[in-house]
Amino acid sequence: MLMPPFILHHPKSVNEACQIAADLIDQNQEFDWVSGGTDLLANYKWRINTKPNVISLSNIPGIDKISNLEIGCMARLSDLKGKSVHPIIAEAASKIASSLIRKSATLGGNLCLDTRCFWYNQSEDWRRSIDWCHKADCGTGADCRVIPNQNTLCVATYQGDLAPVLMVLGATVHLIGPNGERVMPLSDFYQLDGMKKNVLQKGEFLLKVTFPKESRQRIGSYQKLRVRDSWDFPEAGVAASWIEGDVKSIRLATTALESIPKDHTEEIEDLVNSKWNGKESIKSLAALIKKSVKPVNNTALPPNYRRSVVQVLVKRALSKINGDS
Amino acid sequence: MSAGYRQQPNSSRKDGKRVAGKQVFPPPGSGGSRPVMKERDLDYIPKSVGGKEHQPAGSHIHDRIRTGTIVGKSLPLVDSNAKVTGQAWYGDDVRLPNESIGKILRSPHHYAKIKSIDTSKVEALPGVIAVATGADSPSSFGVLPVTKDEHAMAVEKVRHMGDLVACVSAVDEATAIEALGLFEIEWEILEPVFDPKKGLEDSDEPIHWRGKYHLSKTNVQKRVFQEFGDRSLVENPYSSSHGKWTMHGVHHGFTEPHAVVAHWDPNGRLQLYTPQQVPHYTHRALSTVLDVPMHQINVIRTFVGGGFGGKSDPFPHEMCAAILSRKSGRPVRITFDREEVYWINRGRHPSNIEVKMTADEEGRISGFDIDALIDGGGFASFGHVTSYYNGVLATAPYELGSFHYTGARVWTNKPASGAMRGHGAVNTRCAVEVGLDEMAEEMNVDPIDLRLANLLPPHSRTITGFRITSNGMREALERVRDGSDWENKFRKLPLGKGIGIGCGFFISGSGLPIHWDPNRFPHATVHIQVDMDGGVTVHTGAADIGQGSTTAVAQVVSEVLALPIEMIHVRSHESDTSPVDLGSYSSRVTFMNANAAIRAALEIRDKLLNAAWDILGYHPNTLVINDRRIYYKHDPAIGVSYLQALHKAQEDKGALISSGAYRSPPMGGVHKGAAAGLAPAYSFSAYVAEVDVDVELGLIKCTNVWAAHDCGKALNPLAVKGQIIGSCHMGLGQVLSEKMVYGRTGHLQNANLLDYKIPSIHEMPHVEPIIVESSDPEGPFGAKEAGEGPLLPILPAVVNAVYDAIGIRYNDLPLTPDIVYKGIEKKRKKLKLEDATELPNPRYTHGPKSIELQKLLKKRSEEHRKRDIARQTTEDTSAYVNGVLFGFDPNIPLEDQLEGWRMATEPDPEQLAELGLAGKAWLKKEQREMGGEN
Amino acid sequence: MTPKAPSEIWSAEVNGEPVETLITSNAILLDVLRDQVGTLGVKRGCDLGTCGCCTVMIDGDARLSCLCLAGQVSGRDIVTVEGLSDGAHLAPIQTCFAEHGGSQCGFCTPGFLISAQALLTKNDSPTDEEISIAIEGNLCRCTGYQQIVDSIRAAAEIHRGEVEPAPPASDPHPNPHPEGPDEPSMPPGHAR
Repeated sequence: MLMPPFILHHPKSVNEACQIAADLIDQNQEFDWVSGGTDLLANYKWRINTKPNVISLSNIPGIDKISNLEIGCMARLSDLKGKSVHPIIAEAASKIASSLIRKSATLGGNLCLDTRCFWYNQSEDWRRSIDWCHKADCGTGADCRVIPNQNTLCVATYQGDLAPVLMVLGATVHLIGPNGERVMPLSDFYQLDGMKKNVLQKGEFLLKVTFPKESRQRIGSYQKLRVRDSWDFPEAGVAASWIEGDVKSIRLATTALESIPKDHTEEIEDLVNSKWNGKESIKSLAALIKKSVKPVNNTALPPNYRRSVVQVLVKRALSKINGDS
Repeated sequence: MSAGYRQQPNSSRKDGKRVAGKQVFPPPGSGGSRPVMKERDLDYIPKSVGGKEHQPAGSHIHDRIRTGTIVGKSLPLVDSNAKVTGQAWYGDDVRLPNESIGKILRSPHHYAKIKSIDTSKVEALPGVIAVATGADSPSSFGVLPVTKDEHAMAVEKVRHMGDLVACVSAVDEATAIEALGLFEIEWEILEPVFDPKKGLEDSDEPIHWRGKYHLSKTNVQKRVFQEFGDRSLVENPYSSSHGKWTMHGVHHGFTEPHAVVAHWDPNGRLQLYTPQQVPHYTHRALSTVLDVPMHQINVIRTFVGGGFGGKSDPFPHEMCAAILSRKSGRPVRITFDREEVYWINRGRHPSNIEVKMTADEEGRISGFDIDALIDGGGFASFGHVTSYYNGVLATAPYELGSFHYTGARVWTNKPASGAMRGHGAVNTRCAVEVGLDEMAEEMNVDPIDLRLANLLPPHSRTITGFRITSNGMREALERVRDGSDWENKFRKLPLGKGIGIGCGFFISGSGLPIHWDPNRFPHATVHIQVDMDGGVTVHTGAADIGQGSTTAVAQVVSEVLALPIEMIHVRSHESDTSPVDLGSYSSRVTFMNANAAIRAALEIRDKLLNAAWDILGYHPNTLVINDRRIYYKHDPAIGVSYLQALHKAQEDKGALISSGAYRSPPMGGVHKGAAAGLAPAYSFSAYVAEVDVDVELGLIKCTNVWAAHDCGKALNPLAVKGQIIGSCHMGLGQVLSEKMVYGRTGHLQNANLLDYKIPSIHEMPHVEPIIVESSDPEGPFGAKEAGEGPLLPILPAVVNAVYDAIGIRYNDLPLTPDIVYKGIEKKRKKLKLEDATELPNPRYTHGPKSIELQKLLKKRSEEHRKRDIARQTTEDTSAYVNGVLFGFDPNIPLEDQLEGWRMATEPDPEQLAELGLAGKAWLKKEQREMGGEN
Repeated sequence: MTPKAPSEIWSAEVNGEPVETLITSNAILLDVLRDQVGTLGVKRGCDLGTCGCCTVMIDGDARLSCLCLAGQVSGRDIVTVEGLSDGAHLAPIQTCFAEHGGSQCGFCTPGFLISAQALLTKNDSPTDEEISIAIEGNLCRCTGYQQIVDSIRAAAEIHRGEVEPAPPASDPHPNPHPEGPDEPSMPPGHAR
């Protein structure tokens, strides 16, 4: 497939990257960041929201660090394993796409994954034949094809696997751009809109993720629903973590059910703080999560089904906790 | 005279006499990487001719030419070194000097008339070399001569999104793509039809118009009615089942996208490079569309990166490349991206299938009643045949009391369906085998015993008159039953785990060629040429699409001539040098092409033996041919090398040349459609599948498959096993995850390999391939097909195993987790259970009646077992026709024995009201009967 | 004409040979390898990262060349299927794919070979699970993967030195021009 034309920039340091971004902003030029390219390049081949400039992060040394408390944006998914990576992260990373994709794809790319929708992830000719869609409207102001008669919100689905896991480990993201660094909990990084996706401002990119020391005490699980055990994005995903012996420390997050990954920790606070009675409590938690998520019909499996089985995924994610309480 | 081969000193007897057959000979001649002649490998020589090869199915006509060198041994494909080094050249790897890049403009509409096309802006774009539209190719074509409904590019209207509108060639891809945006087209949008049920109704603007043969104003492309047997048998059944199935369309999913290179050479001949399964039909279609004689076209088949039926039509893009090249005088290369592969489709038909079946008190199958409405998409393709196959290929391996089939294929505004591995037989087979399982459950008998007690024997006729020769069905069933430990698992596994059975029956080559011809043109022809160097060049048109047809040809020639396989060089790529072979479809290549090759090789062998006779003075009947040497049977020390004999044979003539051909024998009935499904031999298969169902999520995982396939004789067991395992993979895709999803707007929503879900390695169960060898009397060395038949049983085996695991019958394919979950939830709520893990799973509930019936079935299958062995090994080909089980005399036509016996290809007026969904097509009249368009 | 991305010199080591060519800034590695370097053994199957037919080794890692910007891997060491054999000596993985039925139509084969070789180079005793994971990104529609796994297991045996590799097919034949007798042996009196 023919690539759209663009200029690829190769900064050799974070500063240079920010400078290139600042210069492009000054020149009123649009651009995208590329790390592993496995998400962006597929979209570019389909001519989805292409830009005339692409800034590659692959030549910047030092931003692929992996340690217990920090993972750099350019850390490859295939490297997210071993002693210095939290077991839940390793578990989730090993389930992403295929081993070949994981050799290229990066943590930063996975967190900033473009949202997906079967009206959107299509070739240019295909999208033209449906008169485009809200997310890639090519200047036509096209309506959303998933939920017609509303063109204010894009409901494309976020299908990254790592975000919920990092959320339940209490991760903090570090963003950097021409205006300096910003730090925030990962849960605040995402913004409910399939187009905006996250709070990255023009010229900013996600530099690294850090973890609180407390995360090392946490254990948990990531449950991924998919049709095939290779290639497929999650149709639903649930991450859970807790500190051994302390049910009040439960954190839950979901992915692939809305336009953003969702941290449910606050929602479940009341439940985990009330009297814990094993299976019954887990059941209530599962029901609560089911109520909370609102999948739409734009992935391989129908939304009703995905919503129903979230309960099973929650139950399984927490299955090891029963012995602790 | 005494200068002969000397014996090896250590192989002589003490008294100095020679030990016959024990000598190790020095090199018999050049060729092969072995320095000395190998001894005859008796393990690969049949018992009937003095070897050790076991022949449970009796001797075979080709036994006398077995040399024990090649046939039956696991060999690498002869072209595998090209493939593992990256040197195999596929469609897009053909890069000719001065090439240009072609691109196709595709319809953005489902259904529309083209009022005008303005190409002036396209032509004005710098870098554009040639432009063509439908006006450049008014002649229609199609793979079947009876339904030529395609054009290179749309002439009057487009029939599905992605249909070809125009094409352009340019200096590079970017320019060609830019040019596509400059066509100015005026459309008149028409109302599309997506639902095949709507296709049965009259419409304002039928997708195609067939003149006086058009069925009212519907979109029905073909309707079929067949009724055989005694329908009174089904009236008061002891047991019955009824399944209404919805099967989604599936795609071949070959890894190589279509690609073509056309080059109109300076001599005015078209050289067309294309990855085709059936180069000959492309050859014919090109001649029609381009208005040039066939001899001015050279179709060069590249390596084919997978076909499975999806590369067997002549394709419009092949015409486009040729037209562009003709206009520009430059080579044109067109390569599809994956989405375009789905637009051209030709995958398995989306189908609505209804199967009713009945059995009597003795567990005999008194009737099959099948109704199949299949969605053909925008063009006919192979659909005429598919319409028949959906019914007639379900008439075996069981003996039936009656058979009733109504089928219809409708055009819809979707990419065309066509032939795909297991053509037409897969979906109905699944419905039928699941129906049998249901009846077995109702009767509380073992479904394998039910099948074993109702099988047609070897050398018999099906209810519709197909001639069955060899038949390994019984052995296949017994071996999967024993291999899988069926008795200890079926209806005994815990919730979520299940085991199921399915059988299959498929043609081994189509008995009649698609192009009817009065001159008895052979189905396959093979030429062999042997020059002084001793190398054997085989010319064949058989298209190797990865299944190993080239290897099969090399093997049989190597076997007949007793030469190492590296001395056999197969040339099969060019129509200029290859004799006509009808191509790689309907599982015909091994059967037909290898038979032709054997005939050609026998001619060479005779010449060599006669030359040896000349030299040695021993009659060929007393000569043995073995590994590059020909010697006297009773004294192997007396002989000549292959080269010596060859050079003698070449005296005054030069290279030895021979030609062999195959044409299937006359057979079959005379009723309308009798030829559909006729084959010189049939393959049989039985699979047992084990599944694990996650009852909470609805996810199914197939864990083990025991796959027995009767391929007559495995010429190359490695390749046969590869076909069996590969078929399991493809069938599993259809039953578990693959579907072409058409959304509410009629757009195909998953035209890529991420969303079209072909199983990965993690979804593959362990497959235990079991080769059954029934030795077909007419097959090459007894061989039958192994490429398509093995796909059929996996679908019902999985569906039946899912029932065994969770007690729910599904009639929607694929069994995606949401479908499975829905079924589980429905049952859970019905039984008022708290949790899906509490579901009951099915168990036998024997009563006195069922125990009695079970005994009866066992007894009958034991009797039939003896009958079958006798018929097979003693070559008892006395009459056995479907119906003997019901007490009829095979020597008297059934209609003369039984009043109720019927054979009809059109419904009676009083039947019309009761016909099923597809049968509704018979409510309409053809235009000529309505007084329209005479 | 279509606006073009700017051109730049791209250099890398492909199959052990230094390669220098002019590419556009937006070039995809797969396109560069097929259209400019000429390694047509690298196949284009889906072009979107699923089928794995385009897999190449980059610094020893099996990666998808269709989702790889050439500019991001300049200066790296790239191995395609053409670079697996040592002259006429096929790599064990290549002979094993041929002998164990790992290749049918052959279109996905280059990708599988690279994935398998990348695994075996690092680990000559892979478990079945490790083999599955190594090839989970490659799609084969012909074989059902089983004989591919057989092939990789067999190649691992050669890598571990347990089995001798086969000699190249182009080696001189052991006895191509035998010194046979001038005349055939035959009993007296039978000659015609």
